[in-house]
Amino acid sequence: MNLARLKPGQKGTITSIGSIGPLKRRLMDMGVLVGEEVKVLKVAPMGDPIEVSIKSYNLSLRKKEAEGIAVEVAG
Amino acid sequence: MSTQLKYKDEESDGEISGRSAEARVITVAVAGNPNSGKSTLINAIAGTRLHVGNWAGVTVEKKEALFDFGGRKIRLVDLPGTYSLSPYSQEEIVARDYLVHERPDLIINVVDATNLERNLYLTVQIMELGIPVVMALNIYDEAQEKGYRIDGKAMEEMLGIAVVPTSATRKTGLDQLLDTALRVADAPKQRVPKKLNYGEDIEVACDYLAKSFRTSYPALTDSYPQRWLLLKLMEQDSHVMRELDLDDLDFLDQALHHLRKAHGEDIESIMADARYSLASGLTREVLHKPELRPTEITEKIDKIVLNRFLGIPIFMAAMWLLFKLTFDLSAPFGAWLGSMTDGPFKRWASALLTPLGAPDWTVSLVNDGVIAGVGSVIVFVPVIFAMMFFITFLEGSGYMARAAFVMDRTMHAIGLHGKSFIPMLLGFGCNVPGIYATRTLENPKDKVLTALLVPLMSCGARLPVYVVFVSAFFPNNSSTVIWSLYVMGILLAVLMGLIFKKTLFRGEAPMFIMELPPYRMPSLHSLCVHTWEKGKHFLYKAGTYIFAVSILVWFLLNLPWGVEHKRDSYLGQAGAVVAPVFQPMGFGTWEAASSLISGVIAKEIVVGTMGEIYAPKKEEQAEVPTLQEDLKEIGVSFGAACSKAVKTLLYLPVPEEKEKDRSALKQALLGVFTPLSSYAFMVFVLLYMPCVVAIAAMRQEFGTWKWAVVGLGYQTALAWCAALIVYQGGRVLGLGG
Repeated sequence: MNLARLKPGQKGTITSIGSIGPLKRRLMDMGVLVGEEVKVLKVAPMGDPIEVSIKSYNLSLRKKEAEGIAVEVAG
Repeated sequence: MSTQLKYKDEESDGEISGRSAEARVITVAVAGNPNSGKSTLINAIAGTRLHVGNWAGVTVEKKEALFDFGGRKIRLVDLPGTYSLSPYSQEEIVARDYLVHERPDLIINVVDATNLERNLYLTVQIMELGIPVVMALNIYDEAQEKGYRIDGKAMEEMLGIAVVPTSATRKTGLDQLLDTALRVADAPKQRVPKKLNYGEDIEVACDYLAKSFRTSYPALTDSYPQRWLLLKLMEQDSHVMRELDLDDLDFLDQALHHLRKAHGEDIESIMADARYSLASGLTREVLHKPELRPTEITEKIDKIVLNRFLGIPIFMAAMWLLFKLTFDLSAPFGAWLGSMTDGPFKRWASALLTPLGAPDWTVSLVNDGVIAGVGSVIVFVPVIFAMMFFITFLEGSGYMARAAFVMDRTMHAIGLHGKSFIPMLLGFGCNVPGIYATRTLENPKDKVLTALLVPLMSCGARLPVYVVFVSAFFPNNSSTVIWSLYVMGILLAVLMGLIFKKTLFRGEAPMFIMELPPYRMPSLHSLCVHTWEKGKHFLYKAGTYIFAVSILVWFLLNLPWGVEHKRDSYLGQAGAVVAPVFQPMGFGTWEAASSLISGVIAKEIVVGTMGEIYAPKKEEQAEVPTLQEDLKEIGVSFGAACSKAVKTLLYLPVPEEKEKDRSALKQALLGVFTPLSSYAFMVFVLLYMPCVVAIAAMRQEFGTWKWAVVGLGYQTALAWCAALIVYQGGRVLGLGG
């Protein structure tokens, strides 16, 4: 499962980050790290990007960017 | 920037006292996350003493202030807001290059107390630099209101840096912050940021690396903060690697061997993990949040503002309001300033110069060159101020990020960013504030591409040109024709966006990853300071170019001095030279060409010049008002401008301005243009090179002529092609010649 496929309201734990280079570094700098809990809050009206909550703040990213983030959905 | 600067702490003995300390200027760099209230803090401390510029060679804004505090001189340098000090974004490179190579005496790290963990991630990195740090625990009031308890003392002990709670919007804690900063700067040895433990594996590798590095490259260890350098080497930071240009990397591989074996290949991730663990560990120690979390106001607002169905209508309404406020509010004042330079100032200049025996050409140069030049700059001041004010409000309040969130899907389709929408929209009012508004975009690729497309939005200055032509040639479907031009501009922007994406801006699309900060009410003081800085900057910088071009055009129009016929002026001659270029589009006359040349000042001038050429007015000897009448008129018209601005906002009827009588010009045009060639001409006016003000804005925003020249070139080429297709295509279709 990757983060882009989570529905609003769903939570998950990040298991790996497949992105590379600047994108990966930027994600990590924003606190998107393996083991971190992430919750999808909203999908933009046009279907992209998405808003997630991580490290107790809100982050938005495009689905394409979220695809590389593997998550394990919690319960 | 010299890389040979010595590491300050090693040179001095620490405590600096007595006279030399008093005279010394203390350089304080201010670093922090975006949305941490850093700009508000800087504005609250330095206010109008701030100078805005750009960091050398990049489009990143630089703010600096020199002021006295407690009998001492402080130089405050605002670093770009960043989440990290990685080598990937311009902002981050600017910030770290400054910290590493310029070595300020002290860093004030602005930290958002309501979002401690992510902010501390940057703090951890700043502490690697070995420069004394004072933390401004900002937005402290809001954290308290939320029931957060933050143990500042514990934080001071764990980090070894001073922590001062502040609230920039309420202006509390600022004096303590500066007091502490001075104290720490005077005794840097007593307040050394602690060396944080990154975990055993990293520390062992780091020690190993330190030893081998010191023997192989002793010179380098002096010109960089050592721990920072070692950590960057371990991360194999591309920027540092390039700067150092190391040839032997074996020792690095050896140092990392064990670390890689234990934790995997990706050292960058290992380091980010280590830094974040420190940040979260620290947060756990010092922050106590209340158990029950009430639904936050931001969540409530976002439920509506980002709603699937309401999101777009709300966005549209917000944009409509932004557009209306920016242009309707400023227009009467722009017109007032314009009429002031046009009327009284010119009369006063003549009244002063003529008795002194100044020749006619001097009076004309002063009036139609210098004063008109000043006029063409200052009419933009109200709109620039208004735009800056509202854009800054949108950013500071947190809505800008939401606007980008809502629009990104659409804008991304043509290679742009969600935030590109606002500059494009403002472009319909005037391209100049549109170009300036690109500063809300972070990535230089997004920024430049947006600015290149903004001038395709048909601005207000092009409308008078359409109006004259349309009323002469298409009186029965005037609005359809004008509408078609606006749509053509948008469609061509989409097309050019796609072309640029495949050519000039090839490669990985810039990423979107963006924080959606909590909604906050920006402080009025900070908004005003910010607007004032920007407006002033525009006046100084763009003003110079615009002024110069205005003088140049005066020379073109009026020389050789005393020409009877416009055809013989340099402008007329230039028009005659370029006219053949327009032959295939159906308007290859010197008159049309000259008007287009003068239109580079501002596109509405095309009509003015045509009026002068085709339907010259008889010199009217109007009654010259006295000085008192002039002064009174200035006051009265200012009052009128104020009331008009208010009335427009409230939708009260505003008395119609008297339209200039253009019937003579229209008659003349009917004799020279056909409907088809007039449409081709309007298409050309829509698309050809941006006016000088827009070009100056691009030059100023991007710190180089490159993009201004690219814009000028592609647009003129595009205009030529489009007008050609319209005219020749129209002829083929039998729409007349």
